[in-house]
Amino acid sequence: MSRLELYSPEGLRVDGRRWNELRRFDCKINTHPAFDGSSYVEQGNSKVICMVRGPMEPPMRSQVNQTQAVIEMNLNIASFSTLQRRKRSKNDKRMIEMKTTLERTFEQSVMSHLYPRTLIEVNVQVLAQDGAVLATMTNAITLALIDAGVAMYDYVSAVSVGIHDQTPLLDLNVLEENDMSCLTIGVVGKSEKLAMLLLEDKMPLDKLENALAVAIAGGHRIRDLMDDEVRSHGNQRVSKLTS
Amino acid sequence: MVEKRKLASGLTTIQKTFVRSRNGGCMKIVREHYLRSDIPCYSQACNHCITNLKPDAQGNLPLLVLLDLPLKLKNGGQHYVVVDTNVVLQAIDLLENTECFYDVVVPQIVLEEVKNRSFPIYQRLRALVKAADKRFVVFHNEFHEETYITREKDESINDRNDRAVNRCAQWYNEHLAKYSSTKNPIKVILVCNDRNNRKRAIAEGIDARSLEDYIESLPNGDMLRDLIPTENESFEKNAAEIAYPEYYSTSRTMAGIKNGTLYQGVFNTSTYNILEGSVLTPAFKKPLLIVGTKNLNRAFNGDLVIVELLPKDKWREPSTTILEESSIGANDNADDNSQEDLVSDKERRMLALEAVKATIHQGEKKLQPTARVVSITRRSWRFYVGQIASSSVDNETSNASQTCFVILMDKVLPKIRIKTRKAKELLGQRIVVSVDAWPSNSKYPQGHFVRSLGAIETEGAEREALLIEHDVEYRPFSKAVLDCLPKEGENWKVPENLDNGDEQLKKRVDLRDKLVCSIDPPNCQDIDDALHAKPLPNGHYEVGVHIADVTHFVKPNTALDSEGASRGTSVYLVDKRIDMLPMLLGTNLCSLNPYVERFAFSVIWELDENAEIVDVKFMKSIIKSREAFSYEQAQLRIEDGSQNDELTQSIRILLKLSKKLKQKRMDAGALNLSSPEVKVHMDSETSDPGEVEVKKLLETNSLVEEFMLLANISVARKIYDAYPQTAMLRRHAAPPSTNFEALNEILRVRKPGMSISIESSKALADSLDRCVDPNDEYFNTLIRIMSTRCMMAAEYFSSSSYGYPDFRHYGLAVDIYTHFTSPIRRYCDVVAHRQLAGAIGYEMLDSQHRDKHKMELIVRNINKRHRNAQFAGRASIEYYVGQVMKNNESTQEGYVMKSFNNGIVVLVPKFGVEGMIKLEMLGDANSAAYDEEKYELSFTDFKGVSRTVGIFDKVQVAVKSVQDEVSGKRKVQLVLV
Ligand SMILES: [Zn+2]
Repeated sequence: MSRLELYSPEGLRVDGRRWNELRRFDCKINTHPAFDGSSYVEQGNSKVICMVRGPMEPPMRSQVNQTQAVIEMNLNIASFSTLQRRKRSKNDKRMIEMKTTLERTFEQSVMSHLYPRTLIEVNVQVLAQDGAVLATMTNAITLALIDAGVAMYDYVSAVSVGIHDQTPLLDLNVLEENDMSCLTIGVVGKSEKLAMLLLEDKMPLDKLENALAVAIAGGHRIRDLMDDEVRSHGNQRVSKLTS
Repeated sequence: MVEKRKLASGLTTIQKTFVRSRNGGCMKIVREHYLRSDIPCYSQACNHCITNLKPDAQGNLPLLVLLDLPLKLKNGGQHYVVVDTNVVLQAIDLLENTECFYDVVVPQIVLEEVKNRSFPIYQRLRALVKAADKRFVVFHNEFHEETYITREKDESINDRNDRAVNRCAQWYNEHLAKYSSTKNPIKVILVCNDRNNRKRAIAEGIDARSLEDYIESLPNGDMLRDLIPTENESFEKNAAEIAYPEYYSTSRTMAGIKNGTLYQGVFNTSTYNILEGSVLTPAFKKPLLIVGTKNLNRAFNGDLVIVELLPKDKWREPSTTILEESSIGANDNADDNSQEDLVSDKERRMLALEAVKATIHQGEKKLQPTARVVSITRRSWRFYVGQIASSSVDNETSNASQTCFVILMDKVLPKIRIKTRKAKELLGQRIVVSVDAWPSNSKYPQGHFVRSLGAIETEGAEREALLIEHDVEYRPFSKAVLDCLPKEGENWKVPENLDNGDEQLKKRVDLRDKLVCSIDPPNCQDIDDALHAKPLPNGHYEVGVHIADVTHFVKPNTALDSEGASRGTSVYLVDKRIDMLPMLLGTNLCSLNPYVERFAFSVIWELDENAEIVDVKFMKSIIKSREAFSYEQAQLRIEDGSQNDELTQSIRILLKLSKKLKQKRMDAGALNLSSPEVKVHMDSETSDPGEVEVKKLLETNSLVEEFMLLANISVARKIYDAYPQTAMLRRHAAPPSTNFEALNEILRVRKPGMSISIESSKALADSLDRCVDPNDEYFNTLIRIMSTRCMMAAEYFSSSSYGYPDFRHYGLAVDIYTHFTSPIRRYCDVVAHRQLAGAIGYEMLDSQHRDKHKMELIVRNINKRHRNAQFAGRASIEYYVGQVMKNNESTQEGYVMKSFNNGIVVLVPKFGVEGMIKLEMLGDANSAAYDEEKYELSFTDFKGVSRTVGIFDKVQVAVKSVQDEVSGKRKVQLVLV
């Protein structure tokens, strides 16, 4: 197959977006009422479910931390989530890297000192991968934690950005991700603070600042979309209570 | 079942589903696809789209390219053109023609289809869009919500795409009618060669025309008519006769390559015999021979082909016969396919002769495996220059179109059959043709006329022909390129205030107080380099090489940069220079002219008494050259004892040090090879070529050369140190021993006791020094010329391609080397400048020069351009030498360089020309005998004297200039006296 025009001189990407446009972002919370918190996020064709239990008593004493809550991440990527069906083991290097990144991100974003000696169990299930999987997982976890009522400093909204020649491209799909180095960031609320930054290739230093600016703006838009969902869900619940 | 959803941001998303099969399996792929309403129509006549333009990441708005007053048809209709895929694929030449096709809309789907079918044509189309002077736009119909269409049930993908193109044309009509700012909305014409689709389009109310009809309806249609490419059927009168073996299917060749029964490689036609060629494949050490029309099976010189080995009893040695296209098939009738006997009698006789010889020599190591072409992976077809064979033109038929042959200038290519109405007019002209196809039932490839360059032997036509033949881009720089030049133009100056807040300017070192001068050939306009030297208190010397700071003006990722990168090098012809960069830079702003301040990139060494480097510094600088010398002027100044000013003394220091540098290089084994370089003197008033002289070398030539080498080596080390993976370097591989086998064998037979050893460049240099014939002073030079031809070509590479030991430059005997000193005329030097600037922290190195893959592309291109430029330069000298000879016939000394069973090749050192003398020209062909062991040809000459000539023999030849009747090429003809 010949190489794709990833970013045409006319300024359009393979899927018809411009450089600074997000893909379709759909999210729902409280999708699995059996859990304390749950969410479902679609970012383009990347689809992720997240379910949270806790804060709860840890089943094993060894897991206890006297001063703060322990967050346990369980990632599961369905074998049918990519084109080539492939079973990913839990010990896959990339899986471990994503797991640690997510754990560190949320240990800082959750007010874990409020819940000493407890465990927060986060289960993430990736159903389909179409680029920016880490970002989709981060957004799903944020929503599920909010649904579970876990206190957080602010939203963590994540998005990826890549550099194609001179142009930063926001929210890469899988075709784009395979062809350029890409950076995933998690923005805290409406600030310019980052809770997460993962660069899985190299990126010229002089382009980084520009890429970050584009990504932060994208993160803020995602935060607003998540906030809309949280508020409308909240309103729904309130109207049920009052009626 | 397409699900459409409108998003908050105004986009609509749909899911595109398609099935891909690979390796027998089958996958369903779902991709997101966004439709939008803000894609402009790019028309200046539209008052809607201008309100809805979206900027790119750099904040630039798209340009509305399509004129509000586009071209008119014969009957007055103003129109835009929408093209379909087949028209682009068949008639890209016509799209590039400056006489027609302005304001053209290329639907995205067409662009995509073109890309899948032919990447080179896609690139040409993209270049057309980019250059903007022909006003081509790509309209992304697949992303526009009003033009996107979904595939219907049972509709083939091709039909769907045709419908999309139709929809696109229709949309333009509606859109322009609705929003037009002019009274009469501009009409859209769909140019489409598919009859059925045209019918459908017309039914939908679109003005659809075939290419022919469209050209016909233009005001200058008559002129353009001949340029329409032939459609295949027009030649197929006798389709029944199948002559060439059919090519294997792709699946068969793929399987064959996988299991090792077929081999892929680039096909090269032998220089002396067009019915023979070779393919070098990685699987074999020696090239595979391919002999005879059937085995060659329509391969062109330079094609990427797939070959199959022939049985061992068909293996043989390379032919020792000279054979040109003009001598076979001269009587073929261009119009008549059926009577052609594919293998001519002459060819059969020759094959038999060769076969006999092969059996005699059976078992010797000279035997080479032979193969036949079974498929062609990639054609090397391009524009070719040639002339119509007069024998194929029927003078009776008046204006009807007729079929005739075009003989190409490149003698290793077959003639091409074209159809034209203007055959009579075009006789005696240099014309450009393009090849369309070579069906298996046609003896010759089929093509079409592109344009005429003018009468044969007129200066302009010959020059253009030469440039096209060597694939040199010679068109003027496009507007987009010129726009990248400094706004001040010729008035650009080094800023007077160096502290004007420009951070980069602050980093420049002020070297205006140094006594810098330049030494170049007389009348040099693009001065790349300048030098200075002064003694230091500690007895050492400070020596500086200052190179034009081209990268200050040529910034990465600009149109100017990509034009330079694609040209790769300037091309020097006898009477003209084709620049890599626009004149303003080359001869003015960058050129280190005397008495003015210029930006430079400087290398400054501290050298000790023995010219050993004590210290080296690199810096961007500002210099002011004190004088521009020619080699001769500088030489005179040095020798003139009365001149003792500082500048002269510094040149003397440079000369002294350069001699030491040269000696050190020679001791290390640098080669002193030779090629017969000549210079053509042009009469300055009439610019007619006057006389030919062999280039003289002065001490000052080598002065400049030594310091340039030193600068190149120092820079190479520095950039390799900073960028170990992507440094732009130049290497020269040691010649493989097989290259010298033949020459050593000839030496063994003809000059007992002499041989050339190649264990190291030192050994080679020494053995060349020993090849001296006391009776013949020129013999040593002759051996050097012949050795040069056995060497490998030097090449550019990026440092990740080879291990450090392979960086070696064999000819210069250094471990690492690059080109840094001529950025005005070589792109390698531009890259080296940027990398050096990055290495010394002057500015960030652009990512394309840090990316292995992109560097690989750059390197491949500049290697090719460099080679082409050399060939073009040589061809230009050859042409002018021929012109000079026209009036100066004389008898000269010559040397036999090669011998065949039907001719010899003789070199005339005085003019640097080499010519073939065929047996028919030597004497009685029937009396001739060729002694292959001794490389001797004996024959009876026309006076009845029997003679024997062999390689290295000194002969007297009459040199005259003749015009080749068939190809129209003037060349030097040699006749043995
Ligand atoms: Zn418009």
